[in-house]
Amino acid sequence: MRLTADPEVEEFRAEFSAFLDANLPSEQEAVPRSKSSADMPEWARRWQRTLFDAGWLLPGQPPEYGGRNATLAQQLAHLEELSRRRIYHSFNPQGLGIIAASLLTFGTEEQKRRWALPILRAEITAALGMSEPGAGSDLAGLRTRAVLAGDHFVVNGQKVWTSGAHDADVLLTFVRTDPEAPKHKGISVLLIPTDTEGVVRRPFGSITGPEDLDFNEVFFTDVRVPRENLVGPLNDGWRVANGSLGHERTMLWISFAERLEDLVRDAASDAEWYATLLMDLQALRLLGYRQLGGDQSPAQISVLKLLGSEAVQHASLHALEERGAEGLVHPAFTAPFNHMNHEPFISSWFERYVRSFAGTIAGGTSEIQRNIIAERILGLPR
Amino acid sequence: MDFEFDEDQRLLQQMVRETVTKSRSLPEEELWAQYRELGWLEAPPVELAIVLEELGYVADPTPFLATATWFAPLAGRLPEGSGTAVCDGTGRFVLDADRADEIALVTGDGVVVVKGSDVRADRVAVFDQTLHVAHVDAPGLVAGVPDLALMGLAITTVGSCRRILDMAVAHVKQRVQFDVPIGSFQAVKHKAADMYVAIERARALAYFSALTIAEDDPRRRRAAAMAKAAAGECQRVVFKHGLQLFGAMGFTWENELQIYLKRAKAGDLLLGTASEHRRALLA
Repeated sequence: MRLTADPEVEEFRAEFSAFLDANLPSEQEAVPRSKSSADMPEWARRWQRTLFDAGWLLPGQPPEYGGRNATLAQQLAHLEELSRRRIYHSFNPQGLGIIAASLLTFGTEEQKRRWALPILRAEITAALGMSEPGAGSDLAGLRTRAVLAGDHFVVNGQKVWTSGAHDADVLLTFVRTDPEAPKHKGISVLLIPTDTEGVVRRPFGSITGPEDLDFNEVFFTDVRVPRENLVGPLNDGWRVANGSLGHERTMLWISFAERLEDLVRDAASDAEWYATLLMDLQALRLLGYRQLGGDQSPAQISVLKLLGSEAVQHASLHALEERGAEGLVHPAFTAPFNHMNHEPFISSWFERYVRSFAGTIAGGTSEIQRNIIAERILGLPR
Repeated sequence: MDFEFDEDQRLLQQMVRETVTKSRSLPEEELWAQYRELGWLEAPPVELAIVLEELGYVADPTPFLATATWFAPLAGRLPEGSGTAVCDGTGRFVLDADRADEIALVTGDGVVVVKGSDVRADRVAVFDQTLHVAHVDAPGLVAGVPDLALMGLAITTVGSCRRILDMAVAHVKQRVQFDVPIGSFQAVKHKAADMYVAIERARALAYFSALTIAEDDPRRRRAAAMAKAAAGECQRVVFKHGLQLFGAMGFTWENELQIYLKRAKAGDLLLGTASEHRRALLA
């Protein structure tokens, strides 16, 4: 144990920081705003391309995929630096963090060239088709069916909560290819371009307003998908699912640490809940650092996700309650203006509290995280 | 920064665990002699935290905590025999003051070390019969609680909480009702998971406090307050769920659970509760 920083990491951080100072889009450049998690205005595409070319997009990858073979500790410093400045490195976060990352792990060379690279270079955007009306926490119960017919699959079914689908060029879609096999064993993954005949996307508003369009329902009717769009082996999609989400989840705690830091800055108070917030942030960081060097089991990631998401919700609720009736005002400006990240700036305290439920519901609910901790760490019977 | 134990620290943890498990039934004096001989009293802050966590896990009956984390940092040395300190400015509820060979008094004129037999210390009857606390009658006392004392009480409490969780988990795995182990019910699992997360959080903050003391980092005062507050918050969850999950069996004298519950609660109530330390963080 030591407090002092690793010089190799600090050098890396300083270099990235200098890069950001020199290359960050200005306030004049950074218009219009991105409207969904797969909507990338021209300036946002240029920004991601700049990061890609300089090896600062996914630093853990080799240079040909937008990185510089950075160590895990350096990757953490990269995300910390972005988070400290409240900058998005991609305005298609799931495209970069989940879809391109999965293709780099499980895809063929051809799939990397044809799909992963364009996503990394922000030439196209991607969305993730996992959840269905009947398959949320029980994701392996998904029923969207794909039947192999010669050189292509025929897909029928429906996805929901498919963030950014209406603005995305391609969907990484989890489908059932063997309905006879046990439910975890009959799943495969297909890349489905959104302009394929039979794909219908319907965005719908979130709790924050009818104009907040990120959620989508996606309907597939006799959609023909070339066989070469299969990612990973046939019927091995569950492994891809765990891999894709695993990659994203390892450092997911940083996004909660970022929210907690926002609250520390925006909701300063002399009430005791504020001290709890300071402690939650410190503890989350410490546990995140510890996990970086050691245990990265899914169950330890569940501890970080549960702690981080519940802490954000707890503090957001107190920040709202402390304002009493003033907390009803909407819209309200609750954070300093940041041209790279409008969300907290334009969110009222009520909205910020409501948005905290994205943390406790999406990506495995708090209830599912508690089950995982109880079963996999404490060994309680399933 | 690096927040993992190094190889030596891992070995120490393993050795302490083995020692305290093996020595469980030894008389207090022999335990005390053994700790001295092993050099645990001289351990630097992080290593001391490793020892204290395990002593909390077995509800150690010796005056180790008060000697190593109350007396030593104030006196600047180890006592002849055992020691404690009157450091919160009141002289009330001083850990082990009734049996300490030397007592460090924090006074307006600085720290004064006296023989235990030279001050009046009246042991207070408390709910936990193995816990020694006493009111000390001394003039000119002022507050000066060492960071190490806050950290020490915090990590000891975390150790007791870990024991409560382990016992509760073992119980719900074996207790069958409605033809299944009650640990298969989500209402039970979720309580156990919340206990685990509370312990991980408090444990991390306690070791961070130890590390800031070891490196004399400017954050040490706040880190100690965070550690003490988090340990208090942790025992609240662990006490409530631990006793509840044991059902009536946890409500008996025979069940060892009571020992750890009482230690954990004392860890919050001594030297300022979680609430007091949260307020200290806001000052």
